Amino acid sequence: MSTSTSLSRFRKWLLASPPIEFAISQVRDLLVGALRQGPMPQHIAFVMDGNRRFARSHGIETVEGHNLGFEALARILEVCYKSGVKVVTIYAFSIENFKRSKFEVDALMEMARVKLSQMAQHGEILDRYGAKVRVLGRLDLLRPDVLAAVNRAVDMTSKNGDCILNICFPYTSRDEITSAIRDTVADYSAPLSSTRSSSGSPRTPFCETHITQNIRAQALNTTNIKTEDLPSDTETASASSGEGGGPKPTPNHVYENGSSFSSSSTLHLPGQQENNSNKPPAASETPGSDSSPRKEPPIFLSPESITRQTLDAHLFTRDNPPLDLLVRTSGVERLSDFMLWQCHEETEIVFLDILWPDFDLWHFLPVLIGWQRRISKSKKNPDAEGNFDGGPGVSDFPEDEDVVVEKVKDL
Amino acid sequence: MVSQRDKELFRDDVRSRGTRLSAVDREKILNPYLPDPADLPSRAPQRRKKIPRKTPIRSFIKSQLHLLTYAILHVLYGIVIRLFQSYHAVVDRIFAIIYYHHRTPQLIRKDVTSLKRLPGHLSVVLSLRKEDDALAILMDEVAELAAWTSSIPTLHHIMTSKLSSYYGTPGQQPTLQLFAPHHPIFKQPEGVALSNKGNPTTLTVLLLSATDGRETFVDLTKTLAEMSQSGKLLPEHITLELVDAEISEITTRPTTTVSVDGATRAPNQLILPVKPEPDLLLVFGPFLKLDGYPPWHIRLTEMFCTGGRSSGIAIADEAVEYHGFLRGLWHYAGAQMRFGR
Repeated sequence: MSTSTSLSRFRKWLLASPPIEFAISQVRDLLVGALRQGPMPQHIAFVMDGNRRFARSHGIETVEGHNLGFEALARILEVCYKSGVKVVTIYAFSIENFKRSKFEVDALMEMARVKLSQMAQHGEILDRYGAKVRVLGRLDLLRPDVLAAVNRAVDMTSKNGDCILNICFPYTSRDEITSAIRDTVADYSAPLSSTRSSSGSPRTPFCETHITQNIRAQALNTTNIKTEDLPSDTETASASSGEGGGPKPTPNHVYENGSSFSSSSTLHLPGQQENNSNKPPAASETPGSDSSPRKEPPIFLSPESITRQTLDAHLFTRDNPPLDLLVRTSGVERLSDFMLWQCHEETEIVFLDILWPDFDLWHFLPVLIGWQRRISKSKKNPDAEGNFDGGPGVSDFPEDEDVVVEKVKDL
Repeated sequence: MVSQRDKELFRDDVRSRGTRLSAVDREKILNPYLPDPADLPSRAPQRRKKIPRKTPIRSFIKSQLHLLTYAILHVLYGIVIRLFQSYHAVVDRIFAIIYYHHRTPQLIRKDVTSLKRLPGHLSVVLSLRKEDDALAILMDEVAELAAWTSSIPTLHHIMTSKLSSYYGTPGQQPTLQLFAPHHPIFKQPEGVALSNKGNPTTLTVLLLSATDGRETFVDLTKTLAEMSQSGKLLPEHITLELVDAEISEITTRPTTTVSVDGATRAPNQLILPVKPEPDLLLVFGPFLKLDGYPPWHIRLTEMFCTGGRSSGIAIADEAVEYHGFLRGLWHYAGAQMRFGR
């Protein structure tokens, strides 16, 4: 017992001695510099779990455990940003955490307030390194003084933009998805302003009659070459002139099917029939209101143009690169309502059996090397499993275009 | 790497709630650790042109050193991974021999009786392979898993044959329900069931695909937007509870019942409601990737990847095997639950 304590004290003394400290920091720099040479994840998320268990097992106060957790966070952030990670998202406080003891919640809030207001005192350094801090979550649940500190820090760094630190403060993913849906619905249920609708005439990139003329001319050319099957060719010509405005019937069809509510479908149809230019459905936001009188009910964006990208754009993490890596410490293998939407497709999820205050470069390094290895493998062999380069999900519009292309080919 | 002396200073400051050090003091402590602003790669390139590199040879050597370290790291990592892989391959084979189900539910039951808890709702992520008969393999995997699970469900026929290879006569088989979102439930013919059922357990299989993930939310948003546009709903009415109820409805309650003869009837008492949140999610693959598993319900789900605990131990193609399934159950039984407090 006494030997082990003296041994650990000796170890501590040795590690704290200047030459060893210098050597360790040189090795760290070397490793971080080496990591930079390969592909690096652009967006990493951390669940900082295990502060309280660390405190319990080391016989210190819970608040002290959180303080040590903050130091670990600072270490990891240094590693991340030095090795080329652009965005780091951390799960600082869940909405569920408000159920914890009042003492601990207050201590955590106080810690956040102190750290954020300290940070605000160093605006110059933050500007120099282009760090940007954002706080994601239900800010309305915060205490007013904490909220003020949050707002000041966020405002100060909002113009920087190289490295982003997302702090999920009172956050749950379900709440985020719900508010994304709510915001999208709110956006789509705001009627389009009349100034915008009357500003320009409907866009007509191609002239329909010109296309039919062209097709006629082509048909004539072919008939000149092979004279015997003239009747069938005129048939195709007439058919193709019907198809000349090909894309036009499709959107109308979509709207009629899609809107099950009679009122909304009547809203859309007049607009669609008027500007019968060949437009993809996404362009339906320019309603043909030239002839329609003012008394008509307000015109909305079509709900059919909502895609997963629309919802993505309403999440808290809207302008960040996709999440590449999610790390959770302390061996708990659950997401606990964190980044559910962001991580359920291509993200690699790693659970580490270590408490967060102990977490350092040495534990993070194997994760990063493994990720780099998989990425470089999947680049060499794109068909293999673990291919991260799969593009965005199949949206509806390219499909429609494909159909159109097919039709054109059939002509 | 922060030196011990500065760390102590910092901790003293934290203990006194940030009152001991002034902003200037803090910057003084911080400054030695900040990288030289001139080294920053992307900020203000026009400024970098003006200042020539101070030490071109040293920085060249440094970058070469970094490249070398990168290569060495990856070679070492590769060797370690190979060693781990071969070790795990051997252990896996041994496990596969020791724990084999022999197509008898009694053996499987014996394997799991010692476990403290079992998941009430088990979810498995399977991926379609690249081979020609990928679909057949996938269906076979689903059927195997269902058979394993039930001893403690195009697919229906395969499953029935699988189940009969485990349970023997149809009377012994558990009741099987199979459904997918937006599709009616599919059940066994009633003739055999109910009258002479020796096995009262019911197994419900829900087949999900990646399109049930984000697309479901898109559909829900479209519907809600239409309702809002026609004035039937205010955006403020969209709450977490509403979304939860709507999303859960799709995955838990099938619309109508279709038996084998194709006749449609109203859902009857036999259909057990499915618990929407899975307790355990098994990923048969080299590393944990959710592959578009519907996101809403997995917030408290334990995840287990058969490919290995640490991120690196990656075997190229992980087959769905019984011992992997069993290991997941063991892991689940050993894990503790802590709900945010």
